Amino acid sequence: MDHSWLSHPILARLNSGVIVIDDEYRIVFLNHFIERHASMALAEVAQQSLFEVFPDLPEAWLKRKLMSVLDLQSPAFSSWEQRQYIFKLPHLRPITSSSQYMAQNCTMLPLLDESTQQNFICILVEDATDAFVYQQHLSKTLIELEKANRQDGLTKVLNRRYWEEQLKQEIHRAQRYQHPLSLILFDLDKFKDLNDKYGHLGGDFVLIELSSLIGSLLRDSDLLGRYGGEEFGIVLPDTNGQGAMDVAERIRKAIADHPMLFNQQTIRVTLSIGVAELDPHHHLLHDDLIREADMALYNAKRNGRNRVCQFETKAVSRKLAQS
Amino acid sequence: MTNLGFTVEQKDCLQEIINVAMGLASDKLARFLNTFVHLQVPSIALVGANHIPAEFSGRYADTEAALVSQGFFGDEGVRGEAIVLYKMDNAHRIAELLGYEPGDSSEIEMLTDISSVLTTTFLNGLAQQIENSLSYSAPRILSSRHGNLSDVLQSTSFHWEHALKVDISYQLVDHSFNCDMILLIPDVAVSRIKVILDRILEEF
Repeated sequence: MDHSWLSHPILARLNSGVIVIDDEYRIVFLNHFIERHASMALAEVAQQSLFEVFPDLPEAWLKRKLMSVLDLQSPAFSSWEQRQYIFKLPHLRPITSSSQYMAQNCTMLPLLDESTQQNFICILVEDATDAFVYQQHLSKTLIELEKANRQDGLTKVLNRRYWEEQLKQEIHRAQRYQHPLSLILFDLDKFKDLNDKYGHLGGDFVLIELSSLIGSLLRDSDLLGRYGGEEFGIVLPDTNGQGAMDVAERIRKAIADHPMLFNQQTIRVTLSIGVAELDPHHHLLHDDLIREADMALYNAKRNGRNRVCQFETKAVSRKLAQS
Repeated sequence: MTNLGFTVEQKDCLQEIINVAMGLASDKLARFLNTFVHLQVPSIALVGANHIPAEFSGRYADTEAALVSQGFFGDEGVRGEAIVLYKMDNAHRIAELLGYEPGDSSEIEMLTDISSVLTTTFLNGLAQQIENSLSYSAPRILSSRHGNLSDVLQSTSFHWEHALKVDISYQLVDHSFNCDMILLIPDVAVSRIKVILDRILEEF
């Protein structure tokens, strides 16, 4: 049976683009897919240069590719993953896709007309917009997932697990490069009274508000995390004890001076803050540093709240060693 | 290392076919790249595909590596997957080699381009000699700067029984450029190749 009649209807109905050019890049054939997507008729563009008919083509790059097909008589490929499209064509999912143009997988195949021995190139254009859109959704979801995995759901600062991991890494780095590092732990004063008076929504509101206010006072490299309940921690890389005391005092004052408006009521809150500096020569575990900052925080509470205290024994022992 | 039942004559014949394929490829490449291409006689080895990760993880252990895979299929059950491995310190030379202008194309795109050129010219030469013709899938980069090469090789070679290792070293006049090529092939293709080798040996 002769099958040659098949090629015409198949080419016409194929849901992929077929473009044939000669060895001087002149258009010999376009199928319906290309005619319709590019709004052009074969009769109008036949014998014209591919690069004039599609002026947006990456000419130098594509010529090099097409040349390889002719010279080596082997196929060349282009994937949407590296180059979203070669031919700037609209796609059929304008609503569901964020991209304006059809993502494409293209294959360039050598063709030989046996009767004339003339070389041609067949360019197959496959619509890969679906894959492109799925990939975009996937990347976005992965980024969100990763963020959710390190964030505290309520306050959007780092969660305890991730914050402690970062603290360990920063301590390791500080020890290796002999850089200073300090830790701040702070606690919202009388949080229980606040919850009793304004309800848990009021308490949550205060935690969110103070997290965002404190976040705005820190450098990008500082790490603010929720340690538990109303207790938070800040890792300050490249910061000595005095520098950390300054930061802590700035935070204390900013919160004390910042009335928060919740349900038409003004809430005023204060913080008690403990500061500890890493001594890189004593290979402190991160637990030790947290314990020292926690002791300083306890002193701040005991001395009347709304104040900053620094963990002191190291300073004392250093003074003793000097005398 | 096993010879997978190849006789000495079969193996010599295969080596000869690969030498010729390499010669054809280097001739085409030289014309395409406009520079003299010197190709060393490739050493080949047939191994079980499960040996591949261990063999290559050592060589690419202390460097960033890229791996580009391209499927091929022809008549009578000849099919497989060609893998080209590069050290990434080579990658910046590829643009020069291909004559790309800076900014024309990403590093990954250049790697898939050069891999496709190497793989298809070489395999076309091979197919021509065994009177077959091959079609190719688009090249895919399986690993670049990140990730463990041996894990990637493990998951790739897992699907195949045999591997034909072909060490390719391209020396160009102004550039030196090295990479490894591995052809992963299934049992049925190996049997088919044996039949073809025997036929060639008879004719010889």
